[in-house]
Amino acid sequence: MNPVQLFHLEERKNRFRSPSFFFRILLLAFFVFTPFMFRSFEVLDVILKIIIFSVLVASYDVILGYTGIVSLGHVLYFGIGSYFVGIFMGKLGLTSYGHLALAFLIAILISGVLSVLIGLFSLRIRAIFFAMVTLAFMEFTFILSSQLRSITGGDDGISFKLPGILAIDFSYGKFLGIEFTGRLISYYLILLLSLILFLLMLRFVHSPVGRVLQSIRDNEQRSTALGYRTYLFQVIASSFASCVAAVMGGCFVIWVRYVSPDSSLSVSIMLDVLLMVIVGGMGTLYGSIFGAAFLMVTRAFLPKLQVIIASLLPGIPLAIRLSERWLFYFGLLFIVIVYFFPKGIVGTAQEIFARRKSN
Amino acid sequence: MVEPILKVEEIHTFIGKHHILQGVSFAVHPGKVTVLLGRNGAGKSTTLRSIMGLLPPSQGTINLKNRPIKGLKPYEISRLGIGFVPEDRGIYNLLTVEENFRVAMLQEDGKTRERMETIFDIFPDLKKFWKAKAGNLSGGQKQMLAIARPLVNQNELLLIDEPSKGLAPIIIDHIIDSIHMLKEYTVIILVEQNFYMASSLGNDFYLFDDGKTVHQGQMEELIQNEELKKKYLGISG
Amino acid sequence: MNLKWKRWFPMLIVFAIFLSPLLGINPKTYITITISGLAMGMLLFLVSSGFSLIFGFLSVLNLAHGALFAWGAYIGFTSFNLINQWTGWGGSNSIFLNFIIFLLALIISGLLVALLGIITERSVIRPVYGSHLFQIFITVGAMIVMEELIRIIWGPNDEVMPVPIKFMGSWDVFDVVVSKYPLIAIVIGFILYLVIFMILRKTKIGTIVRAGVENPEMVQVMGHNIYRYFTGVFAAGSALAAIGGGMWATFVKSIHPAMGGEVIVFALIVAIIGGLGSITGSVVGALLVGLSYNYVAYLIPKAALGITMLLLVIILSIRPTGLFPEGT
Repeated sequence: MNPVQLFHLEERKNRFRSPSFFFRILLLAFFVFTPFMFRSFEVLDVILKIIIFSVLVASYDVILGYTGIVSLGHVLYFGIGSYFVGIFMGKLGLTSYGHLALAFLIAILISGVLSVLIGLFSLRIRAIFFAMVTLAFMEFTFILSSQLRSITGGDDGISFKLPGILAIDFSYGKFLGIEFTGRLISYYLILLLSLILFLLMLRFVHSPVGRVLQSIRDNEQRSTALGYRTYLFQVIASSFASCVAAVMGGCFVIWVRYVSPDSSLSVSIMLDVLLMVIVGGMGTLYGSIFGAAFLMVTRAFLPKLQVIIASLLPGIPLAIRLSERWLFYFGLLFIVIVYFFPKGIVGTAQEIFARRKSN
Repeated sequence: MVEPILKVEEIHTFIGKHHILQGVSFAVHPGKVTVLLGRNGAGKSTTLRSIMGLLPPSQGTINLKNRPIKGLKPYEISRLGIGFVPEDRGIYNLLTVEENFRVAMLQEDGKTRERMETIFDIFPDLKKFWKAKAGNLSGGQKQMLAIARPLVNQNELLLIDEPSKGLAPIIIDHIIDSIHMLKEYTVIILVEQNFYMASSLGNDFYLFDDGKTVHQGQMEELIQNEELKKKYLGISG
Repeated sequence: MNLKWKRWFPMLIVFAIFLSPLLGINPKTYITITISGLAMGMLLFLVSSGFSLIFGFLSVLNLAHGALFAWGAYIGFTSFNLINQWTGWGGSNSIFLNFIIFLLALIISGLLVALLGIITERSVIRPVYGSHLFQIFITVGAMIVMEELIRIIWGPNDEVMPVPIKFMGSWDVFDVVVSKYPLIAIVIGFILYLVIFMILRKTKIGTIVRAGVENPEMVQVMGHNIYRYFTGVFAAGSALAAIGGGMWATFVKSIHPAMGGEVIVFALIVAIIGGLGSITGSVVGALLVGLSYNYVAYLIPKAALGITMLLLVIILSIRPTGLFPEGT
């Protein structure tokens, strides 16, 4: 047995004993029992958005943290997923399970093909072009989605109903004191899908392809010299991540039952994703959960904070304006984190633990 | 003993995590051509880049005429009178020959014109292609431009990294002649793989191995010493 | 001879393409649309030239460029209003006074935004030179902060951009409607292009900047403090963005905090099409985008943006380094 295999064996043995494993189980249990612990819809809404954004941010991290290329248009695929579900359910009125699955399938297919095309076409030249071209495509799609009123409903978007057990008025009856409505079933469905995709991504980054990608990130010249066509691997990663983002887009609109350019395709969502990945830490995957949780929770509390500030400082418009512009502080935070904690929450924590272990 | 112009003592340089230079020391004396020799990856080019401040050393001292220059910025070091011809020549291909010189010229003084005349004497091709784009020059002409460019300023020292690289033997001879002529205007440090060029130009030599200076002496000694040549340069016969 | 022909051939094709709308549009309308296309192109040039030069020279993908553009528009708006309150030149019937107040507002906004650019470059971007990844993040952060600052200072709503009275309306030249302001914008844009071009071509600073676009390390080795040039180019690029912002706002007669985000995408496309770091490339790229956008917007309104993307895709696939990779 070679040393690498020995290492893997060792790793596998300790897999279920390490503290981080328990932590992961705890996290999963938390998400599973959330509906039982918190009865209010607001909390459930925040938690579910954390789940969805965790996976979206993790998929972004697959591109950014594991391959080292910057996409500025990842939300484009999220939007594609959202819109296909929205159009099938709302515009075409094809509310059946089959059509829901079909919408997902088409969204995945289109996202995959589109990201391969964009990747082949820009990564071949220079990695930085990828950032520019993805941004341009996202902006283009955003404008397209608000212009093509007949298909996308323009700026107003599309509201829609979902089939069968996912429908809002569906009720399965009570279980452990909780009424299993269509909402709750959607919650568990999305949680399950998210879990599967998250595990798939973990599998991907630890697969041989994932390892090649990391070696490209760390030293592109060496990988090229070893005979890898680096951009092809980057294209694979980007299209995989894009498909994941498309599924999450679909999940997101299943939850909110509404799709519009602002809620599914805008630059501000892209900024959120960037913030989350930076806060959580690039190249960790798990960091995305922390990043998403941090941003979603603070954002949920901010309106309350604003009310307090407004009541404390009445009649000072600048103070109120300053308190309203929470994005301003996020921007500052963003810069501070990039400077001082470039590894984010999880990356910094890992570093501290590693240092303690070695001491 | 004459005071050396440049004295490098025990410098260590890292590139990222890699410890490239692990104790390089040498001295350069006026009126001489000092040749740095060694295999690929022995740290010769890194040494030149460390002197220029492009790869600041983490330890050791570098003195130019008894003035410490370690830790200064590349542009400050350059202004103290060190010219640098990098391995890739650093020609501005999109600029004309004239503009290449214009960028290199720091201050126009009374002697600039005189220096330009000298440059044109040594490298007549540059006068001929004065208005041409540097990118359209031949390989040899580009190398000449690269070597000549720093000479518009009153320099103490000229660092030349592998001038023979990628050139035909007949052009190498031409470059050797030119550098011979330059010797009276500036002190030269030459990094060279081509032993023919190194031996015909060098006065003093330093041998590099694994990021350290391991041998030094007069060029004539090295030409005689088959053992050293075989061990560090892989040259036999 | 043969070589010259090859060089001009693509240009001829471009001309042919731009004359082709004549088949579908009557000549008088064609001229009107062409003028507004050229005006849009010249305004885009102002934004993208700075962006392109900053990328070429500093290798910084400055995503905050759009925010600088918006700042330019807002400062232009405020200074125009303040000067107008004080002198009333904006509402004067003398086109000369109109010009003075317009140019004053532009100059003030150019200078102030250049200052803002210097602060940004020194404090935020300089610490991350050399790392593409962090640069992109930092400029995104700077963009958010700057855009939010606009909302804090001027409020989040749209404002009406004042236009000097004599700039409104149009001239009637042989039955062809020629709007006044687009013509003014074309002239100002073209003058600025010539100024930048001459600075880059004829001055020593310009030569050093062009050298730096090709090989910044050698510029340092030759004794020039490249960081000072970095700051200078960043300031100049910011000033251009600001002037572009002020002129754009006058063109569309309104300003809003997010206006930079929309323009940055155009600037990006223009810079890629023209060749990153090339001023002439920026002008040609911007005119291509401006003209094609306007022609298509007239013929098939919904496809206008598509043609811009198509242009990007075509140029990137046949000439990945852009139309003018040779610099300037």
